[in-house]
Amino acid sequence: MSSIHPDQVTAQQLAGLSRLPDRGTPAPGTGDGSLIDDPSVRSPLVLNERTFKEVTDIVCGYAENKPGKWWLPALMISGSIAGIGGLAILYLVITGIGTWGLNNQVDWAWDITNFVFWIGIGHAGTLISAILCLLKQKWRTAVNRSAEAMTIFAVICAATFPGIHIGRQWMAWFLPPLPNANNIWPNFKSPLLWDVFAISTYGTVSALFWFMGMIPDLATLRDRADMRLRASKTGPIIAPFIPIRVDAVRAYVYGFLSLGWRFSSRHWHRYEAAYLVLAGISTPLVLSVHSIVSFDFATSILPGWHTTIFPPYFVAGAIFGGFAMVLLLLIPARELFPNMKDFITLKHMENMAKIILVTGSMVGFAYSMEFFIAWYSGNEYEAHVFKFNRAIPTWMSDKGAPYWWAYWAMIFCNVVSPQVFWMRKFRTSPAAIFAVSFLVTIGMWFERFVIIVTSLHRAFLPGEWGMFFPTAVDITTFIASCGVFLTLFLIFLKFLPVFAIAELKAVMPQASPHHHADGHDAGHGHGGGDHSKGGHH
Amino acid sequence: MSLLFPKWTNALPTVGAVAALLGASGVVGGFWYYATPKFYDAGYMPTQPGGGFSHQIHAGKLGMDCRYCHTKVEQSPEANIPNVATCIGCHADGRLTKLAVEPKHKERTDFIRQAYNANQSIEWRRIHKLPDYVRNFPHATHIRAGVSCYSCHGQIDAMPIVAQAQPLSMGWCLDCHRNPEASLVSPDKVTQLEWVKKHLDERAGQGDAETKALVEKLRLNPPENCGACHY
Repeated sequence: MSSIHPDQVTAQQLAGLSRLPDRGTPAPGTGDGSLIDDPSVRSPLVLNERTFKEVTDIVCGYAENKPGKWWLPALMISGSIAGIGGLAILYLVITGIGTWGLNNQVDWAWDITNFVFWIGIGHAGTLISAILCLLKQKWRTAVNRSAEAMTIFAVICAATFPGIHIGRQWMAWFLPPLPNANNIWPNFKSPLLWDVFAISTYGTVSALFWFMGMIPDLATLRDRADMRLRASKTGPIIAPFIPIRVDAVRAYVYGFLSLGWRFSSRHWHRYEAAYLVLAGISTPLVLSVHSIVSFDFATSILPGWHTTIFPPYFVAGAIFGGFAMVLLLLIPARELFPNMKDFITLKHMENMAKIILVTGSMVGFAYSMEFFIAWYSGNEYEAHVFKFNRAIPTWMSDKGAPYWWAYWAMIFCNVVSPQVFWMRKFRTSPAAIFAVSFLVTIGMWFERFVIIVTSLHRAFLPGEWGMFFPTAVDITTFIASCGVFLTLFLIFLKFLPVFAIAELKAVMPQASPHHHADGHDAGHGHGGGDHSKGGHH
Repeated sequence: MSLLFPKWTNALPTVGAVAALLGASGVVGGFWYYATPKFYDAGYMPTQPGGGFSHQIHAGKLGMDCRYCHTKVEQSPEANIPNVATCIGCHADGRLTKLAVEPKHKERTDFIRQAYNANQSIEWRRIHKLPDYVRNFPHATHIRAGVSCYSCHGQIDAMPIVAQAQPLSMGWCLDCHRNPEASLVSPDKVTQLEWVKKHLDERAGQGDAETKALVEKLRLNPPENCGACHY
């Protein structure tokens, strides 16, 4: 345990190793106190009557203290998996994409499945940070930072796959319009090119949004490190015999990243204006990015891909899968960092479970519309794809394709499993939400697999029909992308402000002009030792 | 608020952004200029056996037609390199009576007769070479369409030692395929390099009535699809 906090108990509490003391007990029937049925009472968004100082201490504590004992092993395991993936990609580049199970008939399979899977996951972050911001959904403040981080890490995983699925990876520089001696210019009629622009715009705007939102919190971390440097002549050093204090590194690294933020009113004013502008820019991206990803398929003539419902269906699916991933990450984090439960309440979880229910039902509607249009259009090729390539099992018809189980796995995970959220008991139970989110994540991966592989493997000419079987390289690359994602998220949990501190404070009761401090003045800490919040709210 | 960073660091974001922009355009521009064939291929002039075959003397001063040596250029995709027998047609002992008495010339052309007597080829170094993923450049087709030797090889009949005159990059091919009129001459004059150069210079990259008529007459429509040049 780091010695920067004189009080070992407080230090442990702040590091998330043990909880800060609870204040009072929640009313019966309200879960942790956030599930209030009375419509005239707003659910509290921060529980246990935390003070401003405590919020700052808790959030900064994650970055300032040693993490729990689980953190380093988790990082090493996920990092090793990511590293093995690096070797798999190296082998792929040296040998060629034939090392994946691709063949002449199924020339897109796990590579593009993984790409669409990851890019879709990012959408929850953008929705939370942009659309929920514009709609003034205050509960977003507890999850936006980690969801935005997740978005960027998902985009990194997603962007890898199109980059390595081209046979000659060293020719990837042909993707952007650069001058060259071949007069080759990107084909602006191709959705694959629109994809390049959509993904790079999305990655850039998401990273800007995430980083800009963190500046005040990075400045808080900087100032706290600097205060400790000045308060004491000695402190933990970065390594034995290297007399550089950890806090000095923190002060300069966080100081560099916080771009000279001084918590002045002018800074806050510009910050909020910029935040609103970025929210405005990101809002269309929530819809456009996955629409364009869907064009990769919809603009082709392949039955099963050539479908006008794809853009809205893909967007709904992306938000669906993205929220599942947010919950999949935050529910364990909430258990592993106990104080997080004060910020991510059952009400937050219930809200996200409701979004999963809505978007899951939209996706289910889209699945049924595909069948309706296949029948209503009278196009026998399209009807064949939906009926025999996907839905009808081999044991029911000779025409059935061997991938029927993938289709029904998708239906079960994506359409059936979220229906439990109609019942409040399930949508307020972290365990149930985690289980459903897990199923949804699997289901959304299968959705992309079903769309890509079942459409490709039996197209117009029966003579060309074939199968796709993943190789070890396929499987390693996919698992490694999960490793990269988790590694980046673990690093984020340890080193960066996991919550937007100022935004969190703005939704606390103390921030309301109607709030009266009664009885527990000590808790409200206006001023106090929290030097970082001068000048805002 | 403490002063961790000196004041000049306020300029870092601006300086960084400008440097990144300049750096990126520098890398792209540098590659575009230095790493493309117009810089690193054009001007290629390898050392040839026996000091090289002077096109300046043979095609320029003596007025020999290109097709005297490159015999199959009108029938074949390849503009063939002549065999030693073609050289020996003139350079056999005692043939060039006037020059043969000059010891310097005799010494300089000895390697031809040696190779001929030893029944060996002369290993000329190839200069104009397209990548393996390009089909053989069809010389016959281009000559029939009125593309002069000059357009791709430069004024060969003025070169004592041949060097690559044009980049031969894909973009350079396409420039001509997209605007063929500018480079065409009457097909019967394609080997008159000096005349062609003067004529094309006068037209300054424009077609004239003659080339327009030629395009009409031959129904020229140079292909731009990938398969035209790549397998």
